[in-house]
Amino acid sequence: MWARARQWWNKVASYLVLGAVAAPFLTMYVSFFLRAFGKRMYLGVVPKEFGFANFQFLWRPIAWGLEQTTVWTALGNTVFFAVTSALAVTIICMLAGYALSRIEFRGKNFFLVLQLFLHAVPGQILLIAIFFLLFYIKLLHKIPGVALARASLEIPLGIWMAKGFFDGIPWDVERSAMIDGCTRFQVWYRVFLPLVKPGIAAVFIWGFLFAWHDFIYVYTLLPGTIKLMSTLIQSLLATEVIDYGYLAALSLIYMIPPLLLFVFLQRALLRVPVFGGKGV
Amino acid sequence: MRRTITSKVVPLASFMGPSLSLILLFYFVPVVLTLLIAFTDMGRTLQWHFIGLYNFARLFGVGIRDPFILKIITNTLIYVAGALPVTILGGLLLSILSMRMHRGAGLFFRTVFFIPRVIPPVVWGFLWAWSFEGTRYGLFNAIRGAWGLPVVYWLIRYPMLIVILANAFLGISLAMLVFSSAIASIPRDFTRAAEVDGASEWQIARYVIVPALKWPILTMTAWHLMSFINSYVYIMLITGGGPYYATEVWGLYGYHVAFSQYRYGYGSSVMTVLVVVNMLLLVALVKAFGMRRMLGRGKIEV
Repeated sequence: MWARARQWWNKVASYLVLGAVAAPFLTMYVSFFLRAFGKRMYLGVVPKEFGFANFQFLWRPIAWGLEQTTVWTALGNTVFFAVTSALAVTIICMLAGYALSRIEFRGKNFFLVLQLFLHAVPGQILLIAIFFLLFYIKLLHKIPGVALARASLEIPLGIWMAKGFFDGIPWDVERSAMIDGCTRFQVWYRVFLPLVKPGIAAVFIWGFLFAWHDFIYVYTLLPGTIKLMSTLIQSLLATEVIDYGYLAALSLIYMIPPLLLFVFLQRALLRVPVFGGKGV
Repeated sequence: MRRTITSKVVPLASFMGPSLSLILLFYFVPVVLTLLIAFTDMGRTLQWHFIGLYNFARLFGVGIRDPFILKIITNTLIYVAGALPVTILGGLLLSILSMRMHRGAGLFFRTVFFIPRVIPPVVWGFLWAWSFEGTRYGLFNAIRGAWGLPVVYWLIRYPMLIVILANAFLGISLAMLVFSSAIASIPRDFTRAAEVDGASEWQIARYVIVPALKWPILTMTAWHLMSFINSYVYIMLITGGGPYYATEVWGLYGYHVAFSQYRYGYGSSVMTVLVVVNMLLLVALVKAFGMRRMLGRGKIEV
């Protein structure tokens, strides 16, 4: 009897604790959506009407201070930045991952451990030096240069990811390709890349997502006149008069593309190759 | 002989070359550059003018003293000492509770607490800045207003607490995920046996689950220790280091000195301290955990 009661109470208590911790966050998230679509607010939180008035930036320019831009320019810049960065991450990691998985060479383990260390050191503390580095190699204030600098942050873990995907492919595949007269590079390009398509998609999404979300690199290394979505939202947040509904709507638009990419590539991510079957 | 060398070296170079050069360019060159700039008084004009140890003397209060340094050190210590336990204990609490309840409900709670990691930093910063704004337009003040309560100047009265929580809940999202998957791999027999023996939920957590999570807890503590020591982006977005240096931590101070005051030389010397601290921490971690175990995945010990 008492044990039952205690058990029941334990269950309820865990729901209460989690509910209490989650409540402020749920309030934040829900009001964020209400604020984006709401028109006139009742008590500051509950909207009286719903509409798309906050999304007016989709057809009107966005102004802050004395400057202005459009959301499409910012979105275009962000896409350019994120895709460049993600492509760099994907190509470099797919090359290195293959070598680390298949070729024996001196210093291989050292290199792999080094990647873990580099991953642990956040790039943001080297930002001053990266600023000067880009300045000296004439890539400062240019989106491709900053995208390359941003890509370097995701390379350490990306290499480990790529190596993991290549490790999953049997050696027989490689041997038969080599016997058929492929060079190393042909093996990689013709045989392995088609087999690790899910891996390519995963590394690409990884690189894309972090570049898309990046704030500090873009904010520091690009001039204030080239706005990406993150720096645009930040500069609107830093003005005197803040329209939170407008900002919530803008943030919502900012968050949609990664979701779309994920949905599109999800099928590729799930299609893990089956070995010994027809695919090989 | 010659042929074997080229047949091995050429492909290896083409596979490893790009990653090696990028790592060299964006990790090693910047570390060296940070160290070099730290010994100059580089300012707006970007002139290399070496001034020896002057910056470091200033930093450590030898002869000349930076009036903010003590405040910055205290802030950093409070921030790390606050955010780290909240992250680890919070992550443990949330993962254990959510894994011990109904599957669907647990999944729901884990999703809610994982959201901070999937939304962009700027949006996370926006959510906190908006929620805790000191006027009646801020979310929590608006809710207070609905009950007839006066506005609270959250970001002026509790800046450090808010900054700690905003960062800790980001940490919690990762810690919770790692702990939850580790808990899922504890054999059911262990908890079942404890239940049959009449152990309470607390005892199961304390004597069955937490001991099995020893390794994930260690790795997460090490990981978040490093991440909090270096972190400043979210603080920059939420309070900007203010009000009046109240939340200015070491990394943010370095950033502000360099990019707001344009004293790149001094800013680099501030960052050099962080780089050195990071290297020492890494060495200490390798000594403590051993290289071999660091390479392995965070396995649970049953």
